[in-house]
Amino acid sequence: MSTVSTQMTSQNAKRVRTRQQTDRFNSLLIHAVLVPVAILWLMPVYMMFIFASMGDSALFSPKILLLPGKEAWSNLVNLQADTAFLRTLFNSVVVGIVYTILSVTLTAMAGWALVRYQFYGKTVVTALILGTMTLPFFVVVIPQFIMIARDFGMANTWVALILPPLFNSLGVLFMRQAFSMLPKELFEAAQVEGVKEWQIFLYVALPLARPMIAALSIILFLHSWNNYLWPLLITNERSMMTAPVALGSLIGNTDISWGSIMMGASLLTAPMLAVFIFLQRHFMAGITAGAVK
Amino acid sequence: MHNRMITATAVLALTAGMAMAEKSEITVWGWGVAASSLMATVEGFNALNPDITVNVEQMGYSQVKSRVLAACAAGGTGLPDVFQFQNVEMELITAQFPDCAADLAELGFGDDDAAKFPEFKMTALDTGDKIHGMPWDTGPVMMFYRRDFYENAGVDAASIVTWDDFIEAGKKVQAANDGVVMTNDNLNGGAEWFRMIANEQGCGYFTLDGESISINQPGCVAALDVLKTVVDEGLLTAGDFGERLQNSAAGAVATQMNGAWFEGSLRTNVPEDHAGKWGMYLMPTVAEGGPRAANVGGSLLAISNTSDNKEAAYKYIDYTLGTNEGQITMLREYGLVPSLLSALDDPYVAEPRDFWGGQTVWLDVLATLDDIVPAVGTPFFGDADQVMQATQIAYINGEFSTAQEALDDAARQISFNTGLPIAE
Amino acid sequence: MRKRNLTAYGFLTPYLAIFAVFWFWPILYSFYLSFLSTRRLPWSWNPGMTWGRIYQDPAFFNALWNTLKILLIQVPVMIALATILAVLLNSRLLKARGLMRFAFFAPVVIGEAAYAAVFRLMFNAEFGIVNKTLGQMGIEGPNWFGHPDAAMAVIIIAVTWRWMGYNAIIILSGLQSIPEDVYEAAKLDNVSPRQQFLYITLPLLRPVILFCIVLSVIGSMQLFAEPFLITNQGGPGGATETLGLFLYRQGFLNLNFGYASAIAYTIAALAVAISALNLWVGRERE
Repeated sequence: MSTVSTQMTSQNAKRVRTRQQTDRFNSLLIHAVLVPVAILWLMPVYMMFIFASMGDSALFSPKILLLPGKEAWSNLVNLQADTAFLRTLFNSVVVGIVYTILSVTLTAMAGWALVRYQFYGKTVVTALILGTMTLPFFVVVIPQFIMIARDFGMANTWVALILPPLFNSLGVLFMRQAFSMLPKELFEAAQVEGVKEWQIFLYVALPLARPMIAALSIILFLHSWNNYLWPLLITNERSMMTAPVALGSLIGNTDISWGSIMMGASLLTAPMLAVFIFLQRHFMAGITAGAVK
Repeated sequence: MHNRMITATAVLALTAGMAMAEKSEITVWGWGVAASSLMATVEGFNALNPDITVNVEQMGYSQVKSRVLAACAAGGTGLPDVFQFQNVEMELITAQFPDCAADLAELGFGDDDAAKFPEFKMTALDTGDKIHGMPWDTGPVMMFYRRDFYENAGVDAASIVTWDDFIEAGKKVQAANDGVVMTNDNLNGGAEWFRMIANEQGCGYFTLDGESISINQPGCVAALDVLKTVVDEGLLTAGDFGERLQNSAAGAVATQMNGAWFEGSLRTNVPEDHAGKWGMYLMPTVAEGGPRAANVGGSLLAISNTSDNKEAAYKYIDYTLGTNEGQITMLREYGLVPSLLSALDDPYVAEPRDFWGGQTVWLDVLATLDDIVPAVGTPFFGDADQVMQATQIAYINGEFSTAQEALDDAARQISFNTGLPIAE
Repeated sequence: MRKRNLTAYGFLTPYLAIFAVFWFWPILYSFYLSFLSTRRLPWSWNPGMTWGRIYQDPAFFNALWNTLKILLIQVPVMIALATILAVLLNSRLLKARGLMRFAFFAPVVIGEAAYAAVFRLMFNAEFGIVNKTLGQMGIEGPNWFGHPDAAMAVIIIAVTWRWMGYNAIIILSGLQSIPEDVYEAAKLDNVSPRQQFLYITLPLLRPVILFCIVLSVIGSMQLFAEPFLITNQGGPGGATETLGLFLYRQGFLNLNFGYASAIAYTIAALAVAISALNLWVGRERE
């Protein structure tokens, strides 16, 4: 017995040693691959912020400049003069917040209905939601434009910016998932006590699903914040453009300095990077939940 | 250079005391130096109409185009009071959205006013029942060249008569000037060179009645051949409008072929020490004795039907486009060639210009006006132009054996896209 | 039961109303539009101008081919990179995990307009940092936006940069849901790490990877902002014009709503078909 166990210990010790060696080697390998790639991957973001502080002469110089310049303020002033960019940022914030609140409300209600009730037509509704997931936005963009812009005469309005993008299948699936993870017994107990259904939803289910709602909100806000095509089509007045549309309108215009464009890109990006850093957990949850079947 | 929304509030404030009339404010959309030139006319306009504030919003050409079209499609929502549009593209609006632009006839544009402009500028604007806009400028094509580069190569610009001469000159210029290319074209994003030479040779995408396709006719075939030869000889590099200006400013290109409105863009974008180094000469032609005049570009101003200040807007465009004072201001500041006939007799046009080496460039430009063959836009200009862009690239890359074959194919495609027949 | 129906639809109504107005009706209307000639007023029934045109329009096939190029090159490369990245990020040996995650996941939050602007500047032939860096290494960088293949490469690089992290996040969550004991058993049987990856990890990741592929395919079918903004509206000479951009051009620049609707339907049909094919391939072996 004892010989056997010593043998095993020495074998284990050997295994641990070799394992430590291979670990060290593998660790080196992983970092040798990942660190340069990570730096490369960060470059565009870094350059965006650096360029935002440079004047044309620095940008066009043949030297590679990797440190901030001193033109940030004048770039901002020019950007504001060219596009009223602060106003468009304000538009983006308002659209993003209203859209997120409405979308969370709608998808939460719909997701709740799909989890909580058996009802006539449930399979049809589910199929419709799933079916539209693979449909590109393009299939509705022209009628949406004709309807909103021509028939309703609502181009350049908040309603036009917020309402049509409200339909999204992912949000419903997300909330369905969220509610289905909650204990059914809670709701049934509430029901037995005579609590109305909308009260169960509002005061029992929603608070319990808070972490998931937070995750969904971040994703929806991000989606709205970065949305480009629809606001591009539906706004042509400067004062009603969202920030991405205003920024896009500068690209390719030779009269505009690149520094100002980069300043706009930075202003558009910085808040979302902050959200990403501080709310990373919710953020990751939001992205991955879509993948969970 | 930065886009600036300029307001004439200062002028307004100065004169507010004496003005009792109702104040109004109008917004104008324009692109590039055209918008700059509109800003330049505001001062003169406000001296006559102190109560009208003019806000010019300057943006890129494709911005104006797409935003105006989207706004017209939206029933006019979001349109400014006045907008700029290209003549050749205006029929896209008049055919699809006949109510988008206000009828200028209702605002005071009579037959006598129409007679102040050349007929070819009015055809796209006058649909019989209504006047959709007021003609602005024309774009007689000129060769803008660097005198010093040509001199280094011993080339006399006056001796360049045919495109063959141009090619010979180009080889010499490139040999004598290191790092300089003979010329640029928007090859990858437009078909301007083709259109200019085709127009010179009396050919266009469509016949003059706009009812059939003429892109595969001899003049166009000759134009495409010239373009390919120039490219094959290594004398032409691609560059969009901004890049062509950059190349010019950097001294990397010897010649630019463009409408005369390019004068202002060029002059205001190159360094100051370029003054005196540039000159202009007429377009070369295909066969000796052939035509040497063409038009490219040229815009109009329209008033939107949804404007609340149509009267004020009309006063502004009538001053800017319909008076010598307005038109000459724009010619002087930004080189926009008036289409207002009376402005052509203004003493200013006969003056030599220092930047152009003392050449009386405007006399040279205007002398070509009579020889320009009109080209029509039709609502399908965009379709035809896109087909042509793809075709010219394909032909240059050797995908067709002859220009005729390439353009026959282009004609078939355009016919298919538009439903129009190919002209016999 | 009747009451349940009412309650359920009470909760569903706002969502379904939005669906009906902004998706269901437009899908039908779009189909109708795709049979109309919308070139002049009044619009008239003329499927020859739309459906009759699309299957012999070289510009459409150019856009389709460009889109397929992106599908066939960019999607597999990106998914492979994302998988490798996820495996590396999942390694217990990794240091500075937070920083690594930030580097790769940050692009996910950056909007199309913003990153398009940066890429357009970075790849500028004369003063872009890419060609400046290549120049330092003694390589003459191409005129990225002047050469068809180079421009396409920029689009592919940009899209990969933007979306690799996103896919890696999803694959990473798939990796983390694989129970440890699966590997424990393998270790006892002396299975090498490489074999573990090939025969255990990959097959278990299959559904997640498939999901990523479907998402990326749908995304590629809808590419618009990148060629619109980075390569100057699909340049040079249409070399990067995607189906999305082609639709935009026909619909909103040529104002040919009928033809644009036919294009939209074609894009949708392709997206659905490719997604279905992916799912079918994925189910085959189960």
